[in-house]
Amino acid sequence: MKESTNKYLISAVILALVFHGTTIFFTLESTYDALIHLFFAEHYSTSWFEPWNYKWYTGFTVTSYPPLVHQAIAALSLIGGLKFGLFTVALISITLFITGVFRFSFLMTSNRKVAGYAALLAVFSSSFLETLHIFGQLPSIIGVSVLMHALPEIYQWLKTGKIRYFFTSLSLISVTVTSHHVTPIFGMLFFIFPLIGMVILDICYDEVQSYKKIKFGLFLKVFFRQLKRNLIFGFSSLFLIVFCILPYWVNSKNNPITQVPIPHGSRDNFLEITSSGLVFFLIPWGVLLILLPYFFYRYYSKRYLFFGLSFTMLVILGTGGTTPIPRMILGDNAFNILTLDRFTLWASIMVLPLFGEFAYRFVEGDIKSLIQRKFGAVYHRLAGGFLVAIFLFMAIFTMSLGHFRPSQPQKIKMLPIVNFLNQDQHFKWRFLTLGFGDQMAWLSAQTKALTVDGNYHSARRLPELTTRPIERLENSKFKGVAGIGSLQQFLTVPEKYNLKYIFSNDKFYDPILYFCGWQRLKPLENGVMVWEKLNVPPLSSILPKDNIATWQKIMWGIIPFLTVIIAFLLNVQSIFINGLKSKIVKKPDYFNYKVTYNNFPKLMLTISHWWIFLLLIVFSYGGYIFYIKNDDQISSNNVIKAYYDAIDFKEFEKGFSLIDPEQNIKLSQYMLEVSVTDGLLSSYAKLDAIKLKPIKKSNAKVIYEVKTKWITPLEKIENTELISVVKRKRKWYIQKNTLDTDLPPDQLYSINKTAYFNQGRRRITTEQTYHEDVLKQPVLEIISAKLVKVNNSYAIIGEIQNIDNVPSDVVLKGTLYNDNNKELASYNAKYHMKHKLLPKEVSSFKINFEGIAWSKTKDSIPKTFNPDEFTPVEFSEQPTKFNLQAAGNVSNSDLFKNIVLSDLEIQNENVTGTLFNSGIQEITVPQVLVSYYNDDKEIVWVDHIFVKDGIRQQRKRNFNFNINKHQNIKIISSDMKNCFVNGLPNSSISDKMLPERNLNHNYYNFQKVDMDNFKFLKIEMNSYIGNPN
Amino acid sequence: MVLKRLNSILVFCFVVNMLTAQKTNDIKLLTQKKEFISGSAIQLSFKNTSEEQIKLIVKNSYGTRILNASQKENTINFIIPEYISKVRGNLFWKIISKSNQLSGSIKVLPREKPKTIETYLGPPSIIAGGKDFTMLVTIPTDKFDNPLKEKTPVNIKTQFLENESISEEKTNNIIVYKNIFSPLKSGRMIISSESHQLNSTEIDAAIMPDNAINYDIFYSQNHNYADGNQITSFYTSTIRDAHQNIISDGTYVYFIVQNKNNKILKTSGTTINGVATAKIIHPDKEDNWQISSYIQGIAESNKTLNLTFNKAVLDYNYELLDHNRTITVGPIKSFQNQMIPDGLEVSLTLLNEGKEIYKTLKTSRKGFVSFKIDKNIYPDGIYDIRIKSAGITKELQKIKLW
Repeated sequence: MKESTNKYLISAVILALVFHGTTIFFTLESTYDALIHLFFAEHYSTSWFEPWNYKWYTGFTVTSYPPLVHQAIAALSLIGGLKFGLFTVALISITLFITGVFRFSFLMTSNRKVAGYAALLAVFSSSFLETLHIFGQLPSIIGVSVLMHALPEIYQWLKTGKIRYFFTSLSLISVTVTSHHVTPIFGMLFFIFPLIGMVILDICYDEVQSYKKIKFGLFLKVFFRQLKRNLIFGFSSLFLIVFCILPYWVNSKNNPITQVPIPHGSRDNFLEITSSGLVFFLIPWGVLLILLPYFFYRYYSKRYLFFGLSFTMLVILGTGGTTPIPRMILGDNAFNILTLDRFTLWASIMVLPLFGEFAYRFVEGDIKSLIQRKFGAVYHRLAGGFLVAIFLFMAIFTMSLGHFRPSQPQKIKMLPIVNFLNQDQHFKWRFLTLGFGDQMAWLSAQTKALTVDGNYHSARRLPELTTRPIERLENSKFKGVAGIGSLQQFLTVPEKYNLKYIFSNDKFYDPILYFCGWQRLKPLENGVMVWEKLNVPPLSSILPKDNIATWQKIMWGIIPFLTVIIAFLLNVQSIFINGLKSKIVKKPDYFNYKVTYNNFPKLMLTISHWWIFLLLIVFSYGGYIFYIKNDDQISSNNVIKAYYDAIDFKEFEKGFSLIDPEQNIKLSQYMLEVSVTDGLLSSYAKLDAIKLKPIKKSNAKVIYEVKTKWITPLEKIENTELISVVKRKRKWYIQKNTLDTDLPPDQLYSINKTAYFNQGRRRITTEQTYHEDVLKQPVLEIISAKLVKVNNSYAIIGEIQNIDNVPSDVVLKGTLYNDNNKELASYNAKYHMKHKLLPKEVSSFKINFEGIAWSKTKDSIPKTFNPDEFTPVEFSEQPTKFNLQAAGNVSNSDLFKNIVLSDLEIQNENVTGTLFNSGIQEITVPQVLVSYYNDDKEIVWVDHIFVKDGIRQQRKRNFNFNINKHQNIKIISSDMKNCFVNGLPNSSISDKMLPERNLNHNYYNFQKVDMDNFKFLKIEMNSYIGNPN
Repeated sequence: MVLKRLNSILVFCFVVNMLTAQKTNDIKLLTQKKEFISGSAIQLSFKNTSEEQIKLIVKNSYGTRILNASQKENTINFIIPEYISKVRGNLFWKIISKSNQLSGSIKVLPREKPKTIETYLGPPSIIAGGKDFTMLVTIPTDKFDNPLKEKTPVNIKTQFLENESISEEKTNNIIVYKNIFSPLKSGRMIISSESHQLNSTEIDAAIMPDNAINYDIFYSQNHNYADGNQITSFYTSTIRDAHQNIISDGTYVYFIVQNKNNKILKTSGTTINGVATAKIIHPDKEDNWQISSYIQGIAESNKTLNLTFNKAVLDYNYELLDHNRTITVGPIKSFQNQMIPDGLEVSLTLLNEGKEIYKTLKTSRKGFVSFKIDKNIYPDGIYDIRIKSAGITKELQKIKLW
């Protein structure tokens, strides 16, 4: 009999290509992974056979990810560019997926129509939509699609033993291996093992002509008869899994993943963290959730028994941390490395044939007739409408998720950044992006400049990164203490990695950059701010790399494409014959096990109804809880939380709507008041925790003590406020505190100041800067420096002055040595100094010696966030000497000094002061540096306070701190022999420039205090201007 | 053992050498000239009677090269290529032949006249006063970038204000260098050099003012009342260095205020044309300030200023309303009985049996501040209330709230 064309399959492919082929252009680039694959592809397009990539993490090897998809994009990019390659491969993967589902379904059901239904439904399967359009996991899709193509071939080999099928199946397995490493490993476990079981059962069926009659003895007999074939296949594929990507395994062995696991939503408890539940459970399951009883019923029928077991396993593993079972099954290590969403993906793919089968039976089969008989035709139509509605809703919902809850920042135009890096040899330093999301991979693909960051966390190499559960520095603000802690180490000692430029797309990081000594250059055309650090040497022209053997390089470069070519050659014949129907082919063996669909059990129908009923109850209850928890004004708790939420997300109009209408504040007044508040707390803080404690409660009014914890880039802020809420007409409202009414003295005033401009190079040339254009480094003098020990940590403290006639940026680097002159630790001054000094200005400084945080005790990573905390270096030996290197560079930015200490009061240990802004810029983050002196007027300690609110022009702001009570500050060394300025000994500079220094001047500053260990304080001010104008 | 073997090899070599040397005296240098001008055609001619193909190895500071000969009858010529012949210095040559060890050297002299004149000056800025100096290094070179011969005269020309000077120097070890000491005045010095009528480009050195010397400070203000809402400016006389130069713009000048309570307040200014101006806000209670100023470690004000701030607010009233739960402070009047400008801080402390239970701070508006003591938090009872503003404290004893 001549086969007719399967119109379901054809329509499925056309539909998929039209639907996905158009939408990928809007979704793929903002997915999590697509741009990473693009970056890898860019690597292959420039150096196919050299796996070392210098661009990320100070170099990593691309053998850490199977290469096929990347190499395919790279090859195609030669025709039409990288993105052309990406989209072409995406289109191929879509086609492969749909046809793969068809073949897999055909294998399972032996029914072309059912397989056609399955293919059609696969087009809109929500797990596929999510994997492609939200996660962008192309290798994973291609891997699983090719695996599905392989399954019928494997069946044929196992069943018939024809050597042809042995090779076709292995050829397809090797394509799977080279495109994704995890898929074939777990594919063996979850797809191929049950398939082997099914083949055995089919052979048994052949013998007894009924599945019911198959007994365990028979099964065992056939099992042993088949064993040889199964083993041949099993070991051959195992060999292929190892061989095809051997360099990958070699690399994994040489660089085992010893890093701290990165939290992943798929390991969460879905009931607790509902957003993870939505993304990793509800969306991939979608409408399939409703049909779960049907799937279990079908997969636990005898022929599919092993699929049933495998499916059950996948469903359980996919629940992540909701139940303890997945962790028990996988073990702690695997549980923390694997992303568990893939199990749900495979489970949802595994049931696609049955989904098709259900649809077929529901639309034109026995289920239809059963329902119509039992409940009538109208009910059947309504039920159909219900299922289709949910199916379509899930598809549309999944597709639009990226639109309504963008996982990425707005698309950034990369060209200005690429141009900037090319100009003036800026690519000779490493750069860092902040707030770019996964788009940083696209930037890296377009420029030859290197970054210290990266976007493929398994390849992280720097201990600063691998010891933290962060995937990128880039988005460190979302990773709390670990993130910002990591970031600030890079910012404080950037010369360690030749890091000179930072592209910031998120102003959250601005204060930390400023206080770590970075300066703004200019915003680029795309609005991205460029920050620069002075005194960072360029990269050396030869960078270290881990070389791998040439045979590995050749394998890596050749095998992936070779597998595709071989697979194509082996399968091309059947593709054409099957596709063009040019010849009548023998029906595949599995065609003999066609199931006839009649007599759908009534019990199943009843169970399904109960299941749906149960689901409805669960969802309604969930929805109700969601409403109660989230309706802003339903309770006094909610209104405060909602108000803080609104303030946190800068939704001021919403915040305003929660304010007591009887306070008669107008929206415009409210917005004005918001617009004039600036500072660390109101502009750079992210709400971390909120604790409400009702102090006084009545029916219509509650007064809460609201304790809030805010994460700012600089430190953790705890704030306590008393807030009263009132109930008006069943809704709760917040009563707003009144605003400061202080009026500044002047309406219009002027200020004269000295401004500087540094030409850089006067002649426009690509050569090195001309000798006569090189500015002299400003001369600094280290007035005093000491090595002190407090408890178990060491610090270098002192005072430094710019004694030149030009403003200077100051970088201070301290190194500790022991008695044998062995270097013990080295670090730079971070917050405890003014990094920009005008001529003759003085700053106190302190250098803390930070170790790579938590590198020793992985478990002690604090749960709560405090960026101000640091892990002191653990010294195996006693530091006794120090070396201090000060480097000055002419700087013309951030020279605002109009901050005045206008009042001071000291009560016991408490110091209260008033800062006054006498300038014409609004101070965003004022900082107070406090130096402590002993009886001999020698400096013994330096501390800092960030004032959490900004100071507007001609306004005052109070600050408050307690005098540090370190009882056991011990001066280890006051020997300034090893202090150097711009490489010259400090003493020779002071002898030459200021031989008769008047030491009394410093004493004028001293505020007498009466403490046991400190006799004097010195207060200095520093300020960060967020929006200079 | 090893040494012995080595010795015997050396002896053998020597003997062989002697034998071959005796046998071949048939290559002779014909070129008599020992000195050439750089870039001129240098040809070394030898007389050669043997049949052997002879090569010449030449070596100079550029590198080493083997040359082939052109032969005419018994004369062989080696033409030294220009890239070797143009480099100043000794050029060593040696015949490569199985039988001959002839070697020698010729000298390549630089050209007489310079084509370029390289000049370096550093540091580019120095301090006025004659102690600091900058060093000029000049290297006149010929058209092949060879430094000219020793003792080539070079004129170093400097211009500073009205002074123009030329000093004649001679190259020594290839270069000419001169330490140029700073003049007393600040400004810009233009420096250039010249050799054989060839002039360098001009280079400039900035002469920065020297360290400041002591100066005077002044203040200006609108009135001397402590209303917390006016600005007093401090400024300096024109600050100069010991040579009467105005110090660099942007110099940071500290102003330190010691108030009546011996607390140290501070403000600062940066100089423009030697004058630094600093601002500070008036205190909001009467006070007496001692103001001194300094440029740290370098100079200070000759005198300290003494400033007295008089009370702006002599007294204020308050009113208890609404079961004593609303406390209105005011009118707060300033020195001419006008309402105090908005923003005066008024604090209210609620005490229960001498213990502070509530403290709040508000700022005045149109001369008034109003506090409300919430019945929901502070139940009815007897409390003490303390109001503090403009340095005046009001104690309200045993107030009943109900």
